[in-house]
Amino acid sequence: MDTKADILIIEDDKDLVDSMKVIFESKNFTVRAAYNGKEGFAAIQAQKPDLIILDVMMSTPTEGIDLAQRLKTRPEYRQIPIVMVTGFPQQMAELGPDRFVNALREDWPAAKFMEKPVDLEKLAETLETILSESPMEA
Amino acid sequence: MRPGYDLIREQLFIRKELKERVLWLVKIRWCVAAIPFIAMVALPPLHFDVARAPLFLLGMSVLVYNGSFLGVARWLEHRRAHAVTPFLVLTHAQIMVDLATLFVVITLTGGASSPLLPLVICHIVLAGILLAPMATFLYAGITVAVMGILALLPRFSNWRIGSKAWQSLLLPSGWQGSEAMPHTIAFGAAVLFSAFLISAVRGGLQKKGRQLLAISRELEIANKKLLALYEMVKDIGRHTNLQELLDSATRQAASLMGVKACAIKLLDEEKKSLRFAATYGLSGDYVSRGKLELAKVPIHREVIEGNPYVVDVIDEKDHCRYPEDIARERIASMLCLPLRGNNSVQGMFCIYGEKNYGFKAEDVDFFTLMTDLTGIAVERVKWDLTKSWFMAKVTHNLRSPLGAILSMLKLVRNGYLGALNEKQRSTLVRCERRAENLVELINDLLIIGKERTELGITKLSAVSPQKVLKAILPLFTDQAIRKEITLSSVIAPLVPPVLASDSLIEDLFSNLISNAIKYTPNGGRVHVTLNTENGDAVRFEVEDTGIGMSEADIACLFTQFFRAENAKKLVTEGTGLGLVIVKEILERLGGTIHVSSKMGEGSRFVCRFPGFVQAEGKGPP
Repeated sequence: MDTKADILIIEDDKDLVDSMKVIFESKNFTVRAAYNGKEGFAAIQAQKPDLIILDVMMSTPTEGIDLAQRLKTRPEYRQIPIVMVTGFPQQMAELGPDRFVNALREDWPAAKFMEKPVDLEKLAETLETILSESPMEA
Repeated sequence: MRPGYDLIREQLFIRKELKERVLWLVKIRWCVAAIPFIAMVALPPLHFDVARAPLFLLGMSVLVYNGSFLGVARWLEHRRAHAVTPFLVLTHAQIMVDLATLFVVITLTGGASSPLLPLVICHIVLAGILLAPMATFLYAGITVAVMGILALLPRFSNWRIGSKAWQSLLLPSGWQGSEAMPHTIAFGAAVLFSAFLISAVRGGLQKKGRQLLAISRELEIANKKLLALYEMVKDIGRHTNLQELLDSATRQAASLMGVKACAIKLLDEEKKSLRFAATYGLSGDYVSRGKLELAKVPIHREVIEGNPYVVDVIDEKDHCRYPEDIARERIASMLCLPLRGNNSVQGMFCIYGEKNYGFKAEDVDFFTLMTDLTGIAVERVKWDLTKSWFMAKVTHNLRSPLGAILSMLKLVRNGYLGALNEKQRSTLVRCERRAENLVELINDLLIIGKERTELGITKLSAVSPQKVLKAILPLFTDQAIRKEITLSSVIAPLVPPVLASDSLIEDLFSNLISNAIKYTPNGGRVHVTLNTENGDAVRFEVEDTGIGMSEADIACLFTQFFRAENAKKLVTEGTGLGLVIVKEILERLGGTIHVSSKMGEGSRFVCRFPGFVQAEGKGPP
């Protein structure tokens, strides 16, 4: 059966990844997982996903943000929608220590920003909405 | 009692002036004392017979009393240096003794027709220079009175004062009997002496005037600098964003010090290297070197250890790690100081001159003041950021696992991993509810922590309460529908904006509405009202038909973790922090809350807080 889309989850919490996999696969998505930024980028290079679910804080406090901005600088990856999830609220990110002060800029690369704990069924609905609005590449 | 400052200032000024005057008078008197002796020596070769004895007596008298005055003046300087009155008394004594001596000599040389009469004017001029106007007029009055007596005495007495016989003792024989010459000479001496006195005073006054002008100019410059420094400190003090603070500090420092460029370098966490944190007037190439290791640049190490580094002329290659960069930036002089907070050195603050600046001691002092104040501001912001960062990490580390737990519980409950029986499902629902309660508690603790580390007042702006309320009301619709509660609202069209942040107002409204719905049984009503009071204050009311509370419970309502017993029975989960948050937000806004309630009938919460009046009276953005 054809799947709706290829979703790449980049998140260091394996329990959360497994929960997401169960729900998204039940919605007919293909789901891949990576557990840090480096693995995530390698997975993107191996096969360009249709959408990325990206955690902000993984092995470093801004690993997710760094990866998102890296993708935005690459023309081949710039158009991939990114849903950022974090237990680190946006306001706190803006007021973090000096090296994270400019973490969130106006050209924020994420299509959607969701705060943990995320309702996974709502997240699945969000994915469908975003994917229906984005142009799918052949 | 005169103000202390004025008294001290006057005392210092008057005492200094008086001491100078006393000694100046003594010096002049030495010259006057020499005149009789000069006459004794100089006139005989010119075929003038002089009476040596009286002249010698006169000269010696003046020398003796002048020597006494000098002795007393020195003694006063040594023993009573801080007193003013003794010096004043000494000045009066000198004038009086001089006048008395002169009166005696005038009396002996003809009284009212004495040729030495004009010399009295010199003493009055001297009194006018040295003493207060009242004292001068007093001496003038005494002089006129004495001369009047001398003039009238021959009419009423047989005593012949100032007989020609006495003249012969004091005046050269060639002048005796000739009125014009002695009078002319005495008059001339008086005029010349007066001219000398007035010129000396005028010269002194001009010199003092120039000194005062120079001091006044320096004070004006210092005052301007201090005002500018005050404005700088006020500006950097309001920043909560570290980068903005550093950028502002470098820009203003360069302007205040009048230099080409400025830079702040901050120490890394290991305190082993510096990095450019903010610059002004330097090119990107200069700051692109990245980390500057303290071990490789002794100058940096010295400054971090607390020693200023001042170079008026940069011409030695070993001053800087990258002299080619210095040359390219056309930096010719440099002043670097440690950026000190209250507790530790944060880094370095450097200013760079294009020409040989010639940093003076006062420049270094002023820049030190600027640097210390900047260091304290930097330390404060970093500490606030560290606290907020800690709070964020704590909440993240608590939320993430809870989020995973909730996700997995829902996964199982919703049957994604297979069908469940009713007991399994209800147990999972209870687990979910407890986990959600924990999330709520963490959120509430984060809000309170944020408020208490003053993050709640960052980025304040004019917030529209209507806008916020309209945005959050729909979020409670589901909750109300589930409990079949009628949620209604009346929002006035014109409500003044509030100086706050969106999150503060959201938290305030959300907690009250959420509580009202939570503690209203199924089928009840919750009504929300937002309007204005007196045109300049906001009134927010939430009324419900809920379980209500007793007077005793109302008294404890805003206590941390307090939950009334009837509330716990209706809703087992609850953090007990919602109303604490409401109270702290209202305190921050300068507002109040009033609670009225009846057990079993419902409650009403009324919040009032002041609106924000913008300078031009414009509405919220």
